[in-house]
Amino acid sequence: MATWTWFHRLASPPHVYAFARRWTPWFGGFAALAMCAALFGGLVLAPADYQQKDAFRMVYVHAPTAWLSLMIYTTMAVAAAVGLIWRMKVAHAAAAACAPVGAWFTVAALGTGMLWGKPMWGAYWVWDPRLTAELVLLFLYFGYMGLRAGIEDPVKADKASAVLAVVGVINVPIIKFSVEWWNSLHQVATVMQMGKPKMDFDMLWPLLLMFLAFASYFITVLLIRLRAELLRRERNASWIREVLA
Amino acid sequence: MSEFFDMGGYGKYLWPAFALGFGIVVLNVVLALNSLSSAKQDARRRMEMSQ
Repeated sequence: MATWTWFHRLASPPHVYAFARRWTPWFGGFAALAMCAALFGGLVLAPADYQQKDAFRMVYVHAPTAWLSLMIYTTMAVAAAVGLIWRMKVAHAAAAACAPVGAWFTVAALGTGMLWGKPMWGAYWVWDPRLTAELVLLFLYFGYMGLRAGIEDPVKADKASAVLAVVGVINVPIIKFSVEWWNSLHQVATVMQMGKPKMDFDMLWPLLLMFLAFASYFITVLLIRLRAELLRRERNASWIREVLA
Repeated sequence: MSEFFDMGGYGKYLWPAFALGFGIVVLNVVLALNSLSSAKQDARRRMEMSQ
């Protein structure tokens, strides 16, 4: 019973709006503090790597942005699937709220990766499996947003873009495992692998904290954008009158 | 201090990467807040028109 109440609340725009408004400062506050602490840990406290020297510190901005670009796409695809299966408006709104943020973080992942690639590989860009698949991810986000913008009827736009989001999710494991499936210039996973991470604790904790900070940050931005989406969609609902009063 | 900014010679790649990454972090908060305030304005305008 309790789970169903929870599920119904999740489908109700006024509940979701109120929830988002209440929790935004908490997730945002935690994200800001954790990011500062992780930056200090990564840039000041962590020792230089024996192979990459200080260049390894790139990991504290590149890995979280790249991870987020995949996390956001996965969230978007799950929300889109829920929207398709249960015809839930809030889920479609959440999927739409994910797309621009995901596109920005894909740009961040590609840009920081290029700046790491230059000193390590000698080139800003190589047509490597992982880099190419990440670029495809950017085009998936663009395609999703373009499709939404191109269809005037919101219900049809939700459905068509949701199908694209769900089909495109195949690219996420391709990016994740590209470094194992093909010969890649890109280094393999350091933290997210079976068994113990291959990283010293002084280097590891700032990275793990940064992942946590980015997760909390994404929830913050998603909650703000979700409120905007709900206001735009629920045109004549009386709850909007109440929340704006 | 200058040693910190030099980062063993990698500073010229490291700092632009951090500026880009965390610039996008800040930018997305600003964009989300702008989107929310414009959605609120639109909703208020619609309410006034319907009254």
